[in-house]
Amino acid sequence: MKNLLLTFGILAAVCGLSYGAFYVMSREPAAVQKAVREGDAMAWLRTEFQLDLPHYAAIKKLHADYSDVCAGHCAAIQAAQKRTAPPAEIAALEKTCVAAMTEHFKRVAALMPPGQGERYLAIVLPRIADFDHRGAPNVRVKS
Amino acid sequence: MNSPHPSEPLSRTLADWRVVPHRNPQFRAEVAQRIAAARRAPTWTGYIRARGPLVAGALTIAMVLGAWGGRERARARDAAARDALVAEYVHGLDARWMRLP
Repeated sequence: MKNLLLTFGILAAVCGLSYGAFYVMSREPAAVQKAVREGDAMAWLRTEFQLDLPHYAAIKKLHADYSDVCAGHCAAIQAAQKRTAPPAEIAALEKTCVAAMTEHFKRVAALMPPGQGERYLAIVLPRIADFDHRGAPNVRVKS
Repeated sequence: MNSPHPSEPLSRTLADWRVVPHRNPQFRAEVAQRIAAARRAPTWTGYIRARGPLVAGALTIAMVLGAWGGRERARARDAAARDALVAEYVHGLDARWMRLP
């Protein structure tokens, strides 16, 4: 009985050690973890998609430029909502916003290393469909 | 210490009381058997050696289960954190989500 219990104890310890080792080995690289933990989207982009400094700077500038475009779309949508514009008009504004955003993501992807751009688009493009018209707090990409 | 007035019936009973143990002719043999059995009890290494394939299989299963569980937990944790960040990133560039100050 004692031997059986000892054997079960050792099996449990082996299972636990294996769990811990594979947990540590399977985590994202430390830099990605840090960016995600801190909610720093630009740092995440840089580490996740292995951007070198010139490409990172170019993407950062693209984002900064697009923020102005985005703010314009936002203002137009809100103005239309405020004056209770016809749904078709609001839908058209949203369509313009989605098209501009998709184009922006494609431009960002084009600046990434081969293979990474496609991966980036596969991650971000489905998120455009997340919008549910319920609204959200004002969120901005950290730069 | 002697009591000046001992209880006579009790004293008599105690004086007459004799313990007559039940004889067990096998007693010595049984003790010897138990000692021998204890000496024969396998050590843990002997116990393991006697069940080699079973223990090896159980060890393999324990390692595989632990590895799978650890990997899945790490992936799930990273995926959840990354999903939240990606959502924030994309919504931050989506005018439909924005509220101007």
